[in-house]
Amino acid sequence: MTYTDLLLQQTINGLSLGAMYSLLALGFTLVYGILELINFSHFNVFMIGSFVAMWTLQMFGLSGQDVILAGLPLAGVLLVAFVVTMGFCGGLGVVIERVTLRPLRNVKGPAAMITSIGVSYILFNIVLLTVGADSKNFPNPLPTIRYQIGGATLDFRVILIWVIALLLMGALYMFVQRSRLGRAMRATAQDQEAARMMGVEVDKVIMMAFFLGSALAGAGGMIFGLYYNFTSFIIGFTAGLRAFTAAVLGGIGNVPGAMVGGMLIGLIEAMGGQFIATAWTDVIIFSILVLVLVFKPSGLFGRVAPNKS
Amino acid sequence: MITRRAAAQLVATTAVTAALGAAAGTPARAANKVVKIGLDASLTGADAQSAIKVKDATQMAFDAANEGNAVPGYTFELVILDDGTATAGQYDPAQAATNARKMVSDKDVVGALGPQMSGAGKAMTPILSQGGLATITPSSTNPDITNPKFAAQYRPAGKPIYFRTVTTDAFQGPNMANFFAEKLNVKSVYILDDSGAFGVGVADTFQAQAEKKGMKVLGRDRLDPKAPDYTTILTKIKSLNPDALYFGGVSQAGVKVAKQSYDIMPKLIRGGPDGTYGSDFLAGGGFPAVEGWYSTIAAPHLIDDTKASQFVTAFKGQFGMGADDYSITAYDAALVMIDAVKRVAASGKPVTREAVQAALMTSKVPTLQGTISFDENGDLADRTVSVFQITKDASKPLDDSSAQYKYLAVAPQS
Repeated sequence: MTYTDLLLQQTINGLSLGAMYSLLALGFTLVYGILELINFSHFNVFMIGSFVAMWTLQMFGLSGQDVILAGLPLAGVLLVAFVVTMGFCGGLGVVIERVTLRPLRNVKGPAAMITSIGVSYILFNIVLLTVGADSKNFPNPLPTIRYQIGGATLDFRVILIWVIALLLMGALYMFVQRSRLGRAMRATAQDQEAARMMGVEVDKVIMMAFFLGSALAGAGGMIFGLYYNFTSFIIGFTAGLRAFTAAVLGGIGNVPGAMVGGMLIGLIEAMGGQFIATAWTDVIIFSILVLVLVFKPSGLFGRVAPNKS
Repeated sequence: MITRRAAAQLVATTAVTAALGAAAGTPARAANKVVKIGLDASLTGADAQSAIKVKDATQMAFDAANEGNAVPGYTFELVILDDGTATAGQYDPAQAATNARKMVSDKDVVGALGPQMSGAGKAMTPILSQGGLATITPSSTNPDITNPKFAAQYRPAGKPIYFRTVTTDAFQGPNMANFFAEKLNVKSVYILDDSGAFGVGVADTFQAQAEKKGMKVLGRDRLDPKAPDYTTILTKIKSLNPDALYFGGVSQAGVKVAKQSYDIMPKLIRGGPDGTYGSDFLAGGGFPAVEGWYSTIAAPHLIDDTKASQFVTAFKGQFGMGADDYSITAYDAALVMIDAVKRVAASGKPVTREAVQAALMTSKVPTLQGTISFDENGDLADRTVSVFQITKDASKPLDDSSAQYKYLAVAPQS
């Protein structure tokens, strides 16, 4: 492996990680943009997504690494699994919002954020107590196809993950920028009161933000499973915290910022591991976060939020 | 006159025979004094499956002792404490310390078993030592805990209180390095650990011996056990092209190392300590990723031994789960504790923590793994380390550790 190959390989690794962080970061950003709420239950919606995806794949008779699909059956199974997972997680997000966060909407201070931490722990412990603590072997129906680029290896599943992540992020971006509901979301983000006065159904918009963010977290969970072939009740924390960092790095509340932030964090993690040491990953990631926030408090792509009164 | 030794033998035999009698209800002997024995195990988290086996094996020994009236006038009561927490996802040193406080503050607890994990042991020993409570661990192997050099830290009150029915990483790491060098002909190695007390310790001792053996250590890095992704470091390792990878740690990080290293370097020689031995590792890692992985345990291999076969059958019959070698060391630990209490009771002295600790120091107990005695620090006199390799046996459940780990040899001593 030459030095260039090694760099290329680490870039591939970093971008795969980054795709996952981006999907997860979008959920933080969507909700924060509208409610200025850091929604910690998002961590474990992601984790539950990976389990829902696993069970859906298992219902198709896929278990472990024994059954390999290709072509149309593969596309069909994946499509169904993505739809089920995203639908379930989106629904879960809506329920969390409706039951635990809406009653606190007008409470000032950190009450809502702390509630979301509580919800996160509830989800976490429910999974721990019902499915158990050991790592689960996630089904992998993807054929092992490897492309050699010099000495670097590019897996088919990595390409698939990139394509799916980009499609989802593109679709979300178009939705927010072009659709009527998207416009309502942006309006609500700017000024909830004014939007309400202009006839925007704010409750519906907030529900939509939770649905979309949680559905993307679900997709992220499924991608996690397909990429690493394992899942466990604990996966939400490290990934969630880094994705949250990605959202802040990109400028929290900013959709393209979350995507770029996720990719950056992924690349930083890979390059830091290569050139310094894996043990230092968190120190590196969070130092960069601190530096960015010191010199550009609104993040790389964020703008200083207008003063809401 | 019955000698101590013969008496102990009797206990062991009755324990096994009584256990064979299946129905293990503990008859309440109202007239008997109750002797409480604490048990600390990692029942929540990634190592839960091995912890349950430790708990079951211990419970089995005490049930049998109560049933067979092994210590006349006394009934054993096991106080089970869990040092695993959901937040840690595995053993949590803070919880282990809390458990140690609970045991020490209960005056009726005269002895303890566990913990499973060295990280927990390090947190518990200062408290146990101050409380004068001796414990026997069935699986924690970090050598510092019993090393007199660290007495100020792990036994501030002076007396040895940490006994083991397994040997330590002072042998588990180095002996595996010998095995890599002598049997697998490994010339260069990369070493990873999982940041835990056990993982770092065993990786350190492996590294020292590997260097002594003339192996080239290409690097050493530390993994966050909760992070999902190790492809970065594994890619770096691939570019260095080592003959082998040694992972010091337990299954939470271990299964990910196994999976991802298989994707990146399917032909590499990979191995680890007893943290990579067990059904948690098999189920989480899955075939083909774990195929060919070498694991050691810090005990002789006993499951196939005829002496142990009765126990194995009884265990399977009672719990429906295959026993592994650490179920045996846990059972043995309970036998040693029962024997100590018995000797104190027979001498007519009150059964106190101090008396039990003193009795443990002079143990010579016939157990499933042979006669157990301890050195002056509480370490097991026998220092056998066994090496296994994961070899798929499709006819058995794929997460059955007794079927999928193939016993290879005793690792060469230095």
